[in-house]
Amino acid sequence: MTALLLAPAMTIFAVLFVVPLAYFFVISFWRKVLFAMQPDFSFANYLQVYDQHSATLVFTLGLAFVVAALTTALGFIYAYLIRFKAGRWGPALLFIALITLFGGYLVKIYSWMTILGIKGVLNTALLALGAIDEPLPWLYYNAGAVVVTLVNFSLPLAILPIYASMRGITDIELEAARDLGAGGWRSFSDIVVPRSHVGTMAGFGLCFLLAGGDYLTPQLVGGKVNMIGVQIAAQFGLIFNWPMGAAMSFVTLGSSSAVALLAIYLFSQWRPR
Amino acid sequence: MNGLSSIVWRGIAGVFVVFLLSPLVLVILFSFTSRAQSAFPIEALSLRWWNAMVADPRFWGALWNSLVISGTVGVLSAIIGTMAAMGLARLEPRRARPAVAVLCLPLMVPPLVLGVTLLTFYSRAHFPMGRQTVIMSHLLFTLPFVVLVVYARLRNFDFRVVESARDLGASPLRAFFTVTLPIIRATVIGAALIAMSLSLDDFVITFFTISGGQTLPVFVFGMIRAALTPMANAIGTLILIMTIGTTLVALWLTRYRG
Repeated sequence: MTALLLAPAMTIFAVLFVVPLAYFFVISFWRKVLFAMQPDFSFANYLQVYDQHSATLVFTLGLAFVVAALTTALGFIYAYLIRFKAGRWGPALLFIALITLFGGYLVKIYSWMTILGIKGVLNTALLALGAIDEPLPWLYYNAGAVVVTLVNFSLPLAILPIYASMRGITDIELEAARDLGAGGWRSFSDIVVPRSHVGTMAGFGLCFLLAGGDYLTPQLVGGKVNMIGVQIAAQFGLIFNWPMGAAMSFVTLGSSSAVALLAIYLFSQWRPR
Repeated sequence: MNGLSSIVWRGIAGVFVVFLLSPLVLVILFSFTSRAQSAFPIEALSLRWWNAMVADPRFWGALWNSLVISGTVGVLSAIIGTMAAMGLARLEPRRARPAVAVLCLPLMVPPLVLGVTLLTFYSRAHFPMGRQTVIMSHLLFTLPFVVLVVYARLRNFDFRVVESARDLGASPLRAFFTVTLPIIRATVIGAALIAMSLSLDDFVITFFTISGGQTLPVFVFGMIRAALTPMANAIGTLILIMTIGTTLVALWLTRYRG
């Protein structure tokens, strides 16, 4: 009975996730000959990823790290606000995080185009305030714009798991710590941080993986900013080299999971004092 | 708490709220501009771009595709996800947890990689691409949410009421439809709506698996790349209304509070 109930979901998982990924992995060893794929067992694609795209990959992982670290830090502060500081406004803040989680991935990127552009909202506002005489061209089409946009739509993904962890911290624990003489910082570093560790790490990992694999944000607000996702998407568009795209996808998946796990491991060793 | 620190915390909360909401508010605001650019100053509020949207036949095609796809995804993931959650609820939590984690794996893969993987798979298997492939692909990332939400509800479900029904001679199916489902109905509908809103909002996976067709986000993307007018804002606003609207109903039904 249990197996029967789980069968449809597991079938979808196997047929549409495991099998396609396995097939995609096989294809990454094939070669593109003219406009067709030819079965082969060659590491040429992987060598080419190393030769041509390692700089892009390292840049992407660096940028994704900055995005994930910023998002996790901001998400932590926001979750802390909801749980400990906002009082009766807490549910409203949580509500805002929830509605921004599900709505408008593409819409948000588009909106940042109209905020940061040369005639964008920010430049218009600064000109009107007299803070600047000329529109600032450097708000847009650079890595900073990509980071701001990615942090903006990843933030709910960090807030919610961190808040879920913090909800488990009871006031009794904090009062006990205070009764035993712990100051505000001590109970923060010895109770709040370790007790919200799982959520914080889940938020960090999710944001890092999604930022590392994004291609629309650099394409739409990044200008010449080159991330590995843009290169992967190109292999399935104009360049039309699927085996190469497959190899790049697996290198990206592998390296970003490795970096995320390493970061999570190192952070779990650290306690603020 | 003293007054100063309270003011500081309020200020921080305010900055966060502005940062989270201003992109959404601006998209909506610019959809009502009378000018041809999504920028300040807005000379007059008008429905110019909303009229342009409903006059465009491509919009109606995209809307229809979006509704069919997200509706089907909602229903299918509710049925399959609830079945899976029922199965998991029969296991010990110790054994159910790894199964839940496995089902959540597709959420860990960037949508781009998932999209190109599925594109390669469908195309090599000579599976005709269109709405059906988009629906199948969306199930991958909507099912985990449905399973998580319904499983959480079943964790504090009193199974003795189902046992009573069975003792009184109801078949397992009859016990499900007359006892279990009425109790968990709100949660299941809420989970289906979350699946719908995720499906409605998806651009990346749809783009790679729809093969030439358009949904609302794919249509907006085409507009952003080509002639950029505030009509993109009108469609974007419509997407926001639909996704946030379904999310709100879902939150109310599932009584999810974080």
